[in-house]
Amino acid sequence: MASTAYELSQIQHYYNDKKVLDIDRLKILQSSITGLSGPNGSGKSTLLKIMAFAMKPSFGQVKFKGHKEFPFSPRIRSRISLLTQKPYLLKRTIFENISYGLKIRKDLDNLENRVKNSLETVGLDFQGFAQRKWHELSGGEAQRVSMAARLILKPEVLLLDEPVASVDNKSASLIRKASLAARDEWGCTLVIASHDLQWLYECSDTRISMARGKIFSTGTENIIPPPYDLSLKNQPVKALDKGEHILLPLTDKKDSTAVIQTEKIFISNEKNNSREFNNQATGVILSMLLEKSSNHIMTTIQVGDFPLNLSFSPGKAAELGLQPGKKIILMFRSKDIEWR
Amino acid sequence: MDFIVAGFLKAIELLIRFDPSTWTAVSATLKVSTFSMVISLATGLPCGFVLGYFNFKWKRSLRTVLDTLLALPTVTVGLLVYALISSQGPLGEFHLLFTLTGIAIGQTILAFPIVTAITASIVENIDPELKLTLVSLGAGKKNIIATCLWEVRYGILAAAVTAYGRVLTEVGISMMVGGNIKYHTRTITTAIALETNKGLFADGIALGIVLLGIAFAVNLSLSFLRKQ
Repeated sequence: MASTAYELSQIQHYYNDKKVLDIDRLKILQSSITGLSGPNGSGKSTLLKIMAFAMKPSFGQVKFKGHKEFPFSPRIRSRISLLTQKPYLLKRTIFENISYGLKIRKDLDNLENRVKNSLETVGLDFQGFAQRKWHELSGGEAQRVSMAARLILKPEVLLLDEPVASVDNKSASLIRKASLAARDEWGCTLVIASHDLQWLYECSDTRISMARGKIFSTGTENIIPPPYDLSLKNQPVKALDKGEHILLPLTDKKDSTAVIQTEKIFISNEKNNSREFNNQATGVILSMLLEKSSNHIMTTIQVGDFPLNLSFSPGKAAELGLQPGKKIILMFRSKDIEWR
Repeated sequence: MDFIVAGFLKAIELLIRFDPSTWTAVSATLKVSTFSMVISLATGLPCGFVLGYFNFKWKRSLRTVLDTLLALPTVTVGLLVYALISSQGPLGEFHLLFTLTGIAIGQTILAFPIVTAITASIVENIDPELKLTLVSLGAGKKNIIATCLWEVRYGILAAAVTAYGRVLTEVGISMMVGGNIKYHTRTITTAIALETNKGLFADGIALGIVLLGIAFAVNLSLSFLRKQ
């Protein structure tokens, strides 16, 4: 059994008085790939910064390989690397940017060859790029150089925060390939935050959804994200399109998030008159992806302004005639929705 | 108009034949300005970094005081330093009044807030992604400070040039603390003021040309450094 890379417990983080992260417990295994999804502002970047030990959480502890660690601890330096959506390139040549991490480690053996290999991993030619200045690159090339600067360090953990969100298709594909190669070649643990669900479903061993700073496991549960209309005291609702809404259970907890277990959601091709399901919402199938781990088809259904993810066996999907673009009815009970 | 042209021609002659009174003023100016810049950069850069990089209580108040000091009148600095180093002052025993060291102390007081305030502003505006990138690449605290300063080197050069410009062109401190003693504490600016009062425009213009020449040389070398 793989050992644990990260163990986060009772993590809370605040920006001024606003709680942006609230994670009871999170474990990430060594050499695993964890996919992190969720809307903007859900806390993904904050979580990754904390995992990169670039900042300390307001409360709670982060253990790396069994040790409680802090920013700048010598045990974690150079072992964990974070690549953000718009990383900073130092005002130097590309060669100096890529070799920076090795130079501060004073690890200068065979430097030129290592920079060359690293550049080639992300599809950039050493002759053409090594002596270029930082401002002589396109956005995609800059992102690939940043990736190369991290890969050259052969980190034990690579945290990728929307690494392909603002780059061209070629750069995105090379970055995806390079990150997976890091896991295959030296067992790098990858945590990838991305809106590219297809990539996450294809490559990740574990998927986590985030909303309002909390984590939920994708596949077994779905988030019905805010805003909610809690003004109706007897019946809180989540408004959808075209006058539809989801009836929610009563709550007195502010800032909590509505969650429903995937197994409690049923689908049908048309609305059902039975009183069994007091929620019947129209959804449109956005995408259907084959899950690497289960061989099931992960189906993303757009309901109002948010997606729900349901998993079907290939047989069930065929039986229901599921295909992207098809309208379906999602049926579930309000009492099955939990507030967290 | 003729006297200006005549003065300009005589100025060139004074410079070419190394007129002692002209060149001792140039030498005194270079000595005091170099000394004050070295000290103000050595102290102002770390202070500016701390002020711009870290958050602490009274930071805003300190910035306000520092920003106010940017407009410090040179005669006020002259008065303060005079009071401190005159024989009746607390530093009187060091006999610094009417010396180049005295002028340099005053000019350091003038340049320090400029270097500190501009460095603090530059450091405050460093892209937050820089620190994140450096931590991601395994940098320790010392590496982060050194790399951050290196990343904003052009801004710091601008701070140094601004401070140098102020130091080079000030009259109040040099006049009050130095006393404008010929061949001793006379600087370019005090000499220009004196020669103009005496109606000796040629000497004044000659020194003015040198002053502009120094400023040009400093900017030229910085521009060269930038290209490197």
